[in-house]
Amino acid sequence: MIANRPPESRDSISRRSFLRGSTAAAAGVAAMAAGLAPLRKLGEAISVDEFLQQHYKELKPEDMDKVLRRIEGEVERQYGVRPHVRDYKPMNGVEYVYALNLTRCVGCRKCVHACVAENNQSRDPAIQYIQVIKMPNGTFDMEKGDAHYAPESVPEKGFFYMPVQCHQCKNPPCTKVCPVKATWTEPDGITVIDYNWCIGCRYCEAACPYFARRFNFSEPTIPKDQINPEMSYLGNQPRHKGVMEKCHFCIQRTRVGRYPACLEVCPTGSRKFGNILDPNSEVAHILREKRVFVLKEEVGTLPRFFYYFDV
Amino acid sequence: MSPPPDKSNFVMTGLIVLFLALGVSFVFSPDRAPVRQDPELSKLVTPAPTTATLRITATQLKASGGDASILDCYACHDEKKPPTVKLGADGSIVFPKEHADLRLMMANCSACHVDKKLEVEYAKNGDVVMPKAHADLLAMGHGRNNRNTNCFNCHSQSKLDELVTRDGTKLTFAQAPLLCASCHGPTYRDWELGMHGRTNGYWDTSKGKAVRQDCNACHDPHGPAIPQIIPLAGPKPVLTHGLRSAATAAEGGGPKAEGGPPKAASQ
Repeated sequence: MIANRPPESRDSISRRSFLRGSTAAAAGVAAMAAGLAPLRKLGEAISVDEFLQQHYKELKPEDMDKVLRRIEGEVERQYGVRPHVRDYKPMNGVEYVYALNLTRCVGCRKCVHACVAENNQSRDPAIQYIQVIKMPNGTFDMEKGDAHYAPESVPEKGFFYMPVQCHQCKNPPCTKVCPVKATWTEPDGITVIDYNWCIGCRYCEAACPYFARRFNFSEPTIPKDQINPEMSYLGNQPRHKGVMEKCHFCIQRTRVGRYPACLEVCPTGSRKFGNILDPNSEVAHILREKRVFVLKEEVGTLPRFFYYFDV
Repeated sequence: MSPPPDKSNFVMTGLIVLFLALGVSFVFSPDRAPVRQDPELSKLVTPAPTTATLRITATQLKASGGDASILDCYACHDEKKPPTVKLGADGSIVFPKEHADLRLMMANCSACHVDKKLEVEYAKNGDVVMPKAHADLLAMGHGRNNRNTNCFNCHSQSKLDELVTRDGTKLTFAQAPLLCASCHGPTYRDWELGMHGRTNGYWDTSKGKAVRQDCNACHDPHGPAIPQIIPLAGPKPVLTHGLRSAATAAEGGGPKAEGGPPKAASQ
C-alpha cells in the first residue's frame, strides 16, 4: 500500500502547499505595499538625489555643482524664478564681527524685515532671525524685555531697544549638541547649517542662550514675487519643513565683500560690520575705543556680536 | 589723666561751622545762574512720526525721473523694481502716502536770496522769529531745546549759500560735515573712523565701494534730531500656555503691557 503512493520527488510541491505559500506571499507583499504607500508622497517633497546627498564637507566640487544645479531647478519649478545659487567659500584672513550701537538704535524693526526679504524666510508661519527687544532703561534683565511692542512711533521715552540675532559665538553651544554635525563654525566665524543634513531634532535651538535659532514647523511659504534669487547653499536657499535655520551674517553678501542686509537698511547707522583682523576696519575701531559688552557674558559663549554705547 | 578735651572740641566745632558755611554759601552763591524756565520750551512740537529715512533735494529727486539709482532708496526698495517718482501737472512731486511726511532738503538759498546782507527778527525772549516764507519749508529745531536757531550761526550773513564756522572759516554746502565738526567734535571723530553714521555698500573695499553717508544724509541741519519712526510689525505673538493670548497682543498690548512675562523667549 505504501508502495502505491506516488513517490515524492524532492523538488515537487504539492498543490496545497503551493496555494498556501503563494497566498501568504501575496498578502505579505500587499501589506508591505500598503505600509510603504506614504513614501510615494515623499517623492514629491524630496528627490532621490536630495535624499542621498552627502554631508556638505564630504561633497566634492563636482558633486556640489550638481547639487547647486538641482536646487536651481527645484526653486524654478516651485517659485517660477531662475535663481543664482552658489556655494560661497570663506575668505582668507577674514573674521567677521558685528557691533551694534545701543545708543542709536530706535527699534524701528527695519532690520528684521530686510533680513526676512533677503534670506527667503517663511512669511507664514513667520520666521524672523532678528528679535528687537524693548528694554526699560537701567537694566539688562531679559525678563523685563518685550519683543512684541507696537506703539504709534519709536523710540519711546524710558526704553532702549536691543536687537538680538545669532551671535556667531567662538564657543558655540549649538554646534556641540548637534547629533549629526549638521551645524559648525566656518573659518571666518560664521556658524552655518547644512539644511540637507539637519534632522530637525532642535537640540541646537534648546542649547542657544540667545534664542537665535528658528525651526520650520511646517513647509515655509514665500510669495513668488518676493523670492531673492541671489542664493547661497549655506545661507538663504529655500528651506524645507523640519530643518533649523538662523542668521548667517548674510553669507551670500558678506562673502563677496558686501554689508549684510540688516546693516544696509538701518536708518540710524547703529549697525556696524567688518573684518576684525583688519586693524583699520570700523569694528576694530569700535572694539578698541568704545564701551563694548557682549550679551550673557557669563555663559562663556564668546560671541562675535558686540553691543556698544556712545558717550 | 584725660586728654585736653577743650582744644579738640573747639577745633571740631570750628571745622563743622566752616563746612556748613561753605555749603550754605555755595547754594546761595550769586554766581550760580538760575535755571532758565522758558514757557516756550514746553510748547515745542515733537515732529510727526515718519516712515522715510531719506533726505534729498527736490532737484535731485526731479532729475532722477523714474530712475532713482542715484538715491538711497534701495535700503527699503528693491533695486530691480525701482520706485517711480510721480510728477504733478505743474511739475511738482506727488509724494505717495508712505512718504507724505518726507521733507525735501533745501540747498538753493540763492534762488531767492540775492547777495544782500540779511537780518533776522528776534522775539522778546531772544528767539529768532521764523520768516513767514520759510514756515513750511524749514524745521527750526537745532540744538538741545531747539535754541540754536539763528540762521547766521551757520550761514554767511551776506550769502546764505555759504557756510561759516564760528572761527570764520568759509565752507560750501558740500563741505557741511566740517561745519558740523566745529561744534560736534567727538561725533565727527567717530564718523571719520566709521563708528558713527551709515556706511553702505562694501565692507571689503578691494571688491567694491564703501559709501559713507555724510551728516546731512540722516540729519536735517535745521532739525537734526532723528524723527520718530513708525515701527514695522513685530513677531507674530504665539499662543502659549501662561502667556497672553494672540488676540490681546494683536489688539495692541505693546506699550500698555508692563512687566509682562518673558516674551523675549523664542517664537
